[in-house]
Amino acid sequence: MTAYLLNLAQLAAIFGLLSVSLNILIGYGGIFSVAHAVFFGLGAYAGAHVALDLFPDLLLAALASAVIAGVLSAALALPALRVRGEYFVIASLGLQMLATTVFTEAQAITGGLGGLVGIPPPTLFGFTLAGPLVFLFCCLAFLALALALVRQLMRGSFGRALMALRDSETAAEALGKNVALIKTLAVVLGTAFAGIAGALFAFQEEFVNVESFTLDQSVLILAMVIIGGAGTLSGPLIGTLLLLLLPAALTFIPFIPPTDIGAVQQLIYGLAMTLLMIFRPAGLAGRAMGRR
Amino acid sequence: MLILQLLVSGIETGALYALTAAGFALIFGATRIFHFAHGATYALAGYAFVLATRLGWAWPAGVLLALVVAIAFGLLLEAAVYRPIQRHHGAFFTVFVAAFGVVIVVQSLIELSFGRAYIAISSPLTRAHEVLPGLYVARVFWLALATAGVIFAVLGGFLARTRAGIGLRALAENPDLLRAFGLSARRLSALAFALGSALAVPGAVLGAMTTGLSPGVGAHVMLISLAASVMGGIGSLRGAALAGLLLGIVENLVVAGLDTQWSEAAGFVALFAFILFRPRGIFGAALVR
Repeated sequence: MTAYLLNLAQLAAIFGLLSVSLNILIGYGGIFSVAHAVFFGLGAYAGAHVALDLFPDLLLAALASAVIAGVLSAALALPALRVRGEYFVIASLGLQMLATTVFTEAQAITGGLGGLVGIPPPTLFGFTLAGPLVFLFCCLAFLALALALVRQLMRGSFGRALMALRDSETAAEALGKNVALIKTLAVVLGTAFAGIAGALFAFQEEFVNVESFTLDQSVLILAMVIIGGAGTLSGPLIGTLLLLLLPAALTFIPFIPPTDIGAVQQLIYGLAMTLLMIFRPAGLAGRAMGRR
Repeated sequence: MLILQLLVSGIETGALYALTAAGFALIFGATRIFHFAHGATYALAGYAFVLATRLGWAWPAGVLLALVVAIAFGLLLEAAVYRPIQRHHGAFFTVFVAAFGVVIVVQSLIELSFGRAYIAISSPLTRAHEVLPGLYVARVFWLALATAGVIFAVLGGFLARTRAGIGLRALAENPDLLRAFGLSARRLSALAFALGSALAVPGAVLGAMTTGLSPGVGAHVMLISLAASVMGGIGSLRGAALAGLLLGIVENLVVAGLDTQWSEAAGFVALFAFILFRPRGIFGAALVR
């Protein structure tokens, strides 16, 4: 039971990091990406390769993941600079579908459907991070770092400029803000943290394959941010906890057959997304009326 | 012969994609609502037809049921989801997330009631006949072509000639002026949803016979409709139809050179390229905001 709870707590920290990172794009930048699982995946594969081929240092893996995800986020930044609104959502959808295929087919790097197995437990400066509790603290440390950074940045000039161009790109540009640079930075920052989450995920599961990086996962992360409240500091965390605890809670309800739990869970979170958008579009932690 | 065979199945798939994409384009063109749950309409219509067949109904009754389900679902979404959201705040992403929620709900409901496996309806229509040496064509190919042809001809006439059709086009251009002329924007927008949703039915019914249905089919169809609408130029019916046809053909022809897994990806490479280099699509007016 303790092992199960620790495992759940680790996942909550990792997905918390993911939703906080997506919130930089969606909540503060107005960059509505449905391809976040792509960068989560890139980070996971990068982290897994560092651990398998070099040595399983947690910081090294996290750094490599952040760099790879951040560099390849150009694939997201380019359409973000070119188009807005529905067009960008479609572009990111296209990117997600392409990446899923590439992850499945590039077997030399990703192991295809079989994935990469046998990822060793992480070390830090030569010390093995034995025990799930220690690893949990590492995940929480990264989450805290991300939260502190987001809080600090959004109070500073970068955050203000980012939110200004979310609310009106034309006005921000007229005030002399470098829209292209700010958008690109936001994308790089958000995806780099998603990459780190991927590296942590690879160590946590000791195994990665494409099924964790599909459109469904992107939508789940998106739902966490939206249900919790985009553009708020605590919203993504609330959403993450709700959506991770939901399936765990459902397994304790006796009258649902175990084979249907997945579908029932999807049903509930789909309903939650729709109803929330109708009645409380700013999310649980957001202000009652929509700001945008 | 392989290429010709793939071309035949590509045209068949493409004709059905064209109809479904045209439905999406019609709704977006008239109401400016990004009807992301259009794929869910397709899935519901397909499964309604499956249900009718299992109940032993004749096929016209099955098609009728699929039509009723599709139109009712479209109207319900317009009234219960899109309109309340748009009344308060028009943020497109709110609409998008709400519609995505609906897609997930529909998919899980289908999973709960029909199971997760692929379902296909066997029909004498799908039995292939050898037309040329080595080239097999099933009757459903001609049926798909004829359905698409007739529906597009009727739809074109409707939009160009009738009062309601002209109203729909006016709604796209200037809703305020429309109101000044005493037409109801609300009623026309309901009409757009009814028509657009009905356009998903032929693809769903014939798709149930040929490629089969699975709970996730809605997501796939939605992506195809989106891709076709963007490539054709968002809101352009003609463009969406043409791009849908092309996507169907490309999806099938890719198989000749690459693995089948790449067939869907090929469409998205094209989509991505269009968004980067020609976001207004083949026929679209400059609409980039």
